[in-house]
Amino acid sequence: MNTTETATEPTEVDSDQRIIARVLSGDREAFSVLIGRYSDPLYRHALGMTGSPDVAEDILQTSFIKAYNHLGEVRGRFDAWLFRIVANGCKDWLKNIRRTHLSYDEDDQPSTYATPDEDLDRTELRKDLDEALAQLAPSLREAFIMKHVEGRSYEEMAELLSTTVGALKMRVHRAREALQALLEEKYA
Amino acid sequence: MPDLYESPEESRELGLPRRQAGGARQDADAPLADREVPLPGAADAHLAPAVQQWLDGEGSEVAARRADERQVEFWHRLGEEAARRRRMTTPAHVPQRIMEAIPAARMAMATPMATATSVAASTAEDAGRLSLSPVAALAAAAGLVALGFLIGRLA
Repeated sequence: MNTTETATEPTEVDSDQRIIARVLSGDREAFSVLIGRYSDPLYRHALGMTGSPDVAEDILQTSFIKAYNHLGEVRGRFDAWLFRIVANGCKDWLKNIRRTHLSYDEDDQPSTYATPDEDLDRTELRKDLDEALAQLAPSLREAFIMKHVEGRSYEEMAELLSTTVGALKMRVHRAREALQALLEEKYA
Repeated sequence: MPDLYESPEESRELGLPRRQAGGARQDADAPLADREVPLPGAADAHLAPAVQQWLDGEGSEVAARRADERQVEFWHRLGEEAARRRRMTTPAHVPQRIMEAIPAARMAMATPMATATSVAASTAEDAGRLSLSPVAALAAAAGLVALGFLIGRLA
């Protein structure tokens, strides 16, 4: 997760614990602090995994509600615990849905491109990348998105996914090769 | 410049406990899905090790370009798209929607508990209806004795 949005320093972890204690003692509004702190990186993860803004929003909402209802069970880092809830939500969704076309049409980011031609190229690349990502095995897609879209280090990924750095490197390398195979003819 | 490769500074800022890279298990825990059904064309795909290292933040771009200029250009292009996605934020209405959904979720959570509670309460009520006070028990016993005595006399 991004430094500005996540609690990874010990003091921030403590801060998470304090907020959790407040929520558990009845201060419901304190939970909005946790939502504000973690929603962006988790939304990006869900969006990257599902390719659908609507589904990403639903997974995010369901995950936060689940977290709220089980807040008393948090042991250790809240952000890692919450990430696993979202990641599992995405995997469950992928198990149930076979999508052949994914789109980021609801892009709320303003384009920084100067000409319509460049915008068109950009939109096409987004669409092609989404389609290519959708063809990857969920674990490869997850590793690629965490590494390149979310900008996480392998060490953080290993911590969040409870696996080894070596295994994750392997997944990311495979994902890159697969994406290269799928896209390089058009874009290289 | 795409931000596709690992930034050592970013990793440091994340402040996470560091682990030893690699390890004997390597990909032993990889899901089965990762080891089967290769993508069409993926078997032919080869990404130069120097490019992989550059993308991992472990090698220089110069070395990667020396290995395969075309691949580096390709990943620069993808890197721009990845960087764009990294800037995406949660739609403004979502946090509010989550907060609004929380009480409902609690009620949903409370429903089985409420059911269990009401079941327990009604069971207790039923038990109260069936229970006898000591006086009533004595009266009932006396009645039964009298009835037995009467039957004995008649027989």
